[in-house]
Amino acid sequence: MRNKYRLGIDAGGTFTDFVLAENNGELRVFKSPSTPHDGTIAIKAGLAQMSEAVGRSIEEIVQDCDLCINGTTVALNALIEKKGVKVGLLCTAGHEDSLEIRLGHKEEGYRYEADFPPAHMIVPRHLRRAINERVIGTGEVDMPLDEQEIRDAVAYFKEQQVESVAISFVWAVRNSDHEKRAKEIVQEMMPGVFVCTGSEVYPQVREYTRTSTTVVNAYLSPVMRRYVQKIDDYFKSLGAKYPVRYFQSNGGLAVGEAMQGRAVNAINSGPASAPQAGLFVGKPFDIDNVITVDMGGTSFDITLTKDGQTNLNKNIDFLRYRIGVPMIQVETLGAGGGSLCQVDQYGMLQVGPESAGATPGPVCYGKGGTVPAVTDANLVLGYLNPDAVLGGTINLDREAAIKAVKEHVADPLGISVEKAAYGISTIVNLNMVNGIRRVSIERGYDPRDFALLCAGGAAGMHITALAEEIGSTTVLVPKVSSVFCAFGQIISDVRYNYLASEPMRLDGEANLDVLNAKFEGLESQGRDHLISDGFNRDEISYTRSVEMRYVGQIHECNVEIHPGKICREKMATILDDFHKRHEELYTYSEPHNPVELVNIESTMVGNVAKPEFQTLESKGGTAEDALIGYRPALFDAEGHWTDTAVYSGPKLDVGIQIEGPAVVEEPTTNIVVRPGWQLVLEPNQCYRLTRSE
Amino acid sequence: MSTSVDPITLAVVRGALETAQREMTLTLEKTGRSSVFNLAHDYSNALFDHFPEMILQGQDIPIHLGSLIPAMKEIADFFGDDIHEGDVIYHNDPAYKGSHILDCCMYKPVFYKGELVFWAVCKGHLTDIGGPVPAGYNPDATEIYAEGLRIPPVKLWDKGERREDVINLLLTNMRARRDQEGDLNAQFGACRVGERNLIALLDKYGVAQVQACIAELKNMADRQMRSLIDAVPDGEYFGSAVLEDSGHGFGDMEITSKVTIKGDRVHIEVQSPPQIPYFINSYEGNSMSGVYLGLMMFAQLPPPYNEGLYRCVTVDLGQPGTLCNAQEPAPHVNCTTTPMETLTDAVRKALEDAAPERVTASWGHASGVNIAGIDPRTGEQYVTMVLASIISGAGATQVMDGWHACGPLCCFGALSSGDTELLEYSYPIIIRRYGLIQDSGGAGMYRGGSGTEWEVEPIDHEMTVVAFGEGRKIPTMGAAGAENKLLEPKLGKLVVKGEQEQVHKANTILSIKPGERVANFNPGGGGYGDPMQRSPEAVLNDYRNGLVSLDAAAQEYGVVINSQSISVDQAATSALRQQ
Repeated sequence: MRNKYRLGIDAGGTFTDFVLAENNGELRVFKSPSTPHDGTIAIKAGLAQMSEAVGRSIEEIVQDCDLCINGTTVALNALIEKKGVKVGLLCTAGHEDSLEIRLGHKEEGYRYEADFPPAHMIVPRHLRRAINERVIGTGEVDMPLDEQEIRDAVAYFKEQQVESVAISFVWAVRNSDHEKRAKEIVQEMMPGVFVCTGSEVYPQVREYTRTSTTVVNAYLSPVMRRYVQKIDDYFKSLGAKYPVRYFQSNGGLAVGEAMQGRAVNAINSGPASAPQAGLFVGKPFDIDNVITVDMGGTSFDITLTKDGQTNLNKNIDFLRYRIGVPMIQVETLGAGGGSLCQVDQYGMLQVGPESAGATPGPVCYGKGGTVPAVTDANLVLGYLNPDAVLGGTINLDREAAIKAVKEHVADPLGISVEKAAYGISTIVNLNMVNGIRRVSIERGYDPRDFALLCAGGAAGMHITALAEEIGSTTVLVPKVSSVFCAFGQIISDVRYNYLASEPMRLDGEANLDVLNAKFEGLESQGRDHLISDGFNRDEISYTRSVEMRYVGQIHECNVEIHPGKICREKMATILDDFHKRHEELYTYSEPHNPVELVNIESTMVGNVAKPEFQTLESKGGTAEDALIGYRPALFDAEGHWTDTAVYSGPKLDVGIQIEGPAVVEEPTTNIVVRPGWQLVLEPNQCYRLTRSE
Repeated sequence: MSTSVDPITLAVVRGALETAQREMTLTLEKTGRSSVFNLAHDYSNALFDHFPEMILQGQDIPIHLGSLIPAMKEIADFFGDDIHEGDVIYHNDPAYKGSHILDCCMYKPVFYKGELVFWAVCKGHLTDIGGPVPAGYNPDATEIYAEGLRIPPVKLWDKGERREDVINLLLTNMRARRDQEGDLNAQFGACRVGERNLIALLDKYGVAQVQACIAELKNMADRQMRSLIDAVPDGEYFGSAVLEDSGHGFGDMEITSKVTIKGDRVHIEVQSPPQIPYFINSYEGNSMSGVYLGLMMFAQLPPPYNEGLYRCVTVDLGQPGTLCNAQEPAPHVNCTTTPMETLTDAVRKALEDAAPERVTASWGHASGVNIAGIDPRTGEQYVTMVLASIISGAGATQVMDGWHACGPLCCFGALSSGDTELLEYSYPIIIRRYGLIQDSGGAGMYRGGSGTEWEVEPIDHEMTVVAFGEGRKIPTMGAAGAENKLLEPKLGKLVVKGEQEQVHKANTILSIKPGERVANFNPGGGGYGDPMQRSPEAVLNDYRNGLVSLDAAAQEYGVVINSQSISVDQAATSALRQQ
C-alpha cells in the first residue's frame, strides 16, 4: 500500500458495506443503509461512522487513502427496474428485429404456460432503424453505407427525444468502417448524446449477442455516467489524491472514465469480487481451488475458482437480456434465509424462490410473517440462538417458528415437526447443491477438489451440509464474511478484457503471424490504457485465452494459453489442451478431426499492491473459555436431538480445535459444525473446518 | 401422499433426475456438429425406468415428446432378454414407432449391480439421412423407401464394444459424413453423462428407494392431469381442422377429433382420410405427439413431465392406413410438422369446446426450407434444415398477445433459430433479411405473434432449396371468437427474387443461382377473442411499431388512426366499431 488507508465501499440493495484497511494491518468494517436515489448519502453516513471510530476527519481519511473503491448496483438496479434511458438503434437493413426475435426461443420452464410474458424490449421496433449497408463474413463491403438513411433516422431519434444511440451492423466485427462513420454522423447531429457501437462494446462474432450487448450498454451508460460523476466529484471535493476505482463484472477494477461508456461491464459486479477474496483467504492454506457461496436473505450466489483462475461467462442471458461481455460466472439462486417453505397442491415440498424479504421476514422475527422461512427451520433445528442473533438486537420466537413449520409443512405432509424442519433444510441445501453442480460438474470440474468458502449471514448454518453433499472436505469461514464483497474489492487489481475474433482452421497451414499480430495489437492497446490509468510498465501483466472447437461445432471451449509468441510447438500444446478440455467436459474427444480457433482474448491486469492484514496470535485460551453452553440440535432426518456445544466466536482463541457437533456464534452469523467436522480459528482470522473422508 | 415414500427424499430424487436430464441436453448442445443440434436445439433427452416408462422429459421439442413413449417400449420388446450392460441401441424407423427418419434416437440401458434400472435416451434431428434429396425432405417420394435410410432397432455398441461395421454402414449412407459422425458422438456423450448421474443417484439412495420415488412421481403427475380433466364437464366434444393441399394434388383434407370426458378420464379419437403417396403421412409415434401437444396446450402444466400425465388418457388414432395412423410403405418425412400440427389443432379445438377458459389460440405452422449445395470456399458439400425459416408467431392466450417469432406449433418455443453471423460463417450464404412480417399476427382482442421472413442469397454457387410444411393457404387458427379479415399477410409463402419474382405456395425443390434471392415467409400466430374488443391504444402501438398497417387497423380492428399525428381518431373508431 502506498498510503495509510485503502477504502472499499460496496453499495448493495439494502446495505452499503465499508471496509477500511490500514497499513498497520488493521481492518475495520461498517455498514449503513443504502440510498439508491443518491449513493453519496449512504457513503457520507458510512464515512461519518468511520471518522468517529478512527478519530480523524472524513477528509483526512480520504486524503490518506491510496485507493477508494466503489462497487455499485446502479447499473443492475436500472436494468431490473427498467430505468435506463431512451435508446435508438441503427442496424443493418433486414436485421432490425434480431433483438426482438431473440433467436426464436422461449426460455425453459415455461413451455406451456399461457401467461409467461415476452422479454422487455429496451428499444421498441419504431426506434430500431434499418440502414442500407452490408459487410459480409470476410470483411468485404457488399453494399456501401447509405449516409442519408442515417441522417433521416437520427432526425427521427431527435424528434422522439432519444437520449442514447446504439449502432450495430452485421459483421462489423470484421470491418467496422460503417459503424465508425455512422457514429460520426450521430455525434455531429446529436452532440452530447451517448453513442456506442457493437464493434467497440463486444468485438466478437454473433450479431444478436453483439447488438443486444450494445443496446444494454447504451441503455445504462448515461445512468452510470451520472452516478460516476457524482461520486468522483464528491471524492474530489474531499481532496482524494487518486481517482475512485469502480468494480466490474469481470472481477477487476476500472477507473471512472472507463466505466462511463461501458456500463454493461458493471451489471453484475456485486458478487464478482468473491473469487478474489476467496483466493486471498485460502492462500495461507495453499488453497487455490475455491467455490464461494454467499447466502443472504433472498439469494444465493456461487462462484468457482480453479487453479487460481475463475470462469468467465460470455454470451449468456442475464435478466433475460443477452450479454456478451465477460462476467465472472455467478450462479444466482432464489435461496436464502428468507426463502418461504410450502407444500404445493400436489404434495411436494417447495422451498423458495419466493422470499419473506425484510418485511415481514421469517415468522420467528415476529413482524407479521405466517409462512415459515428457512431461518425458521434453522431455529427449530437448534442452529440459531433465539436470544443472540444480529448482535442481540432481535429476539427470535422459536414457538412461533415451530407452529408455522407444523401448520404449513409437517401437517400437510403427515410428518413430525422435526422431520419437516430437517426436510426444509435438506431441500434448500439440494437447491444450492444443484447450483454448485451447474458451476462445477457442468463445466467439467469435480467439486470434491474444491474448498467451500462461506460468505453472507445465512451460509454458515448450511455450509458443512453443503460440503458433505458435494464431497468437499474443507470449508473456510472468514470473520469478514458479512462484508465479503467489499473486502474482495480492496484486494483486487485493475482488469480490462480485450477481445477479438480471428476465425482460422488449425489443420492446414494456420497463419500464426496473423494470430501473433492480433494478440500483440490487443496487448499494446491494453498497456497504453493502463499506463494512462497511472500504472508503471512493471505493474502490468496479462493472460491469454482462445476459444476453439472442432470444425462444424458452433460452441467453443475456452483454453488458457501462455503469453508470448505462438510457434508451431506451442500450437501443438494448445491443441492437446483443447482435446483434454473437451473430454473433461463431454466425456469424449476427436483428436483425428480438424480444429478451428474462433475468438481470442487478452486480459490486461494493472497489479495493485495488496494490503497486509494483522494475524492473530494464541493467547493460550481453551475451548471452555469460549463455551456458552449446550442446546439440543438436530443433524439427521430421523429426528434424534443431540445436545450440542455452543461457542462464542469472538471469545474463541486461535488454534483451538472444536469437534462437531457444535455451533459457533459470531455477531452476524452462526456456523454449524456438523458431526464429523473439526473447526479451528486460523491466524488469518478465518475459521477452517475439515473432516476426514 | 403415499406412506412408503419419504417426501424429502422424493424431492431430492426429482431434483437429481432433472439435473441428469439437463446435463445430457447441455452435452448435446455444446458438442453437436449440425446446426440443427447446436444452434437450433432440435433434440430431446429423456429418462425411462425399467418398465420402461418415461420418468422425465426435459423442456425439449414437443414433437418428440409423445413418440418417445411408444418407441422406447418398442425397443425394449424388440431386444427382449438381449439387453446388456454396455449396449447402445439406435433407431429411427417410424414402423418401429419413431417419429420421422431424420430423428435418430439413441437408447442406453443403465445397469446397476447387474440389474437394468434406467434408460438414458437421446433423440435428435440429423441434417441428413441419405436418400435422393439432401436433408431428407423429398416431396416426390411416393413410398418411405424413397426418403432415406431406415434404421430399425440396431446395436451400435454391443456389451461395450463399438460396432464399427454398423456405424460405418450408417455413416456411409449419409451426406456430410464428418458432421453426422460428430452428432453420433454427441448423442453418445449425452447418454453417458445421463448414465453417470443416474448411477450416482443409485449409489446414494439404492435401487428400491429410488424406484419407490419414481413410482410416486408418476402418481403425482397422474393426479395432476386427472384433477384438470375432472374439472371439465362430462361429455363428448368435437374439433376439426383442415389440412391444405401443399402441392400434392389430393386436395384439402379434414382431420377431426372427438374428445370424450368421463369423470377424470379422457378418450381422444382421431379420424383422418386415407394415407396418400406424399410425404405427409404420420405413423403412430408421431401422431401420439400431436395428440399430447394438443392436450398440453389445454393442461398448461409446469415441468417436470413424466408418463404418469397420460395414464388417464386413451387415444384411438383411427383406421390403420389413414393419414394419422399411417402404415408401410407410406412416405412420411414431413410428418413432424405436417399433418402433426393440423392434428394438434383438431385436438386443441375439441378441448376449446370442452374448456373454453383454458385453451389458447394455435401457433403458426411450419412452412420452411432446407438448403444444400457445394460450398465454394472449401469444395465440401453442405446440407441443413434452416430452423430460422420455420420460426412462426405464437398464439395469443387468455391474458396476452402471442409472442413474436416463437413457433412453430410443433416446437412450441423450444427451437433456436441460430445467429445470422454463425449461419453465414457455416454456410456460403448472405442472409438479407430476418424480420417480423407486418399484419401477420392473427387479429383478436389479443393479437397473435408475428411470423418471420427469412431471405437468403447464395454466394458464388447454385443452391438447392427444398420447401416443406404448409400454412400457405389456411391461416393459423384463432380462439374464442378471433377473426381475420386480411388473410394474405397471415399466410406463409416462398418468393424467388430473380429476374422476375415468383411466388410459390406449394412444396417444391428450387435451384437458386448466384445473384438471385429466395424469401421464406412463415405464418403468424392465431388471435384470441373478438378483435373489435382490442384496446385502440394497443392497435395504435402496433401501428407505430409497424406490426399492424393502417388498413389492418381499420379493417381487422375497427380502429381509425390518424397517420399524421399518430393517434387514434376516437370518433371515427367508435363509428366504425358500431357498424
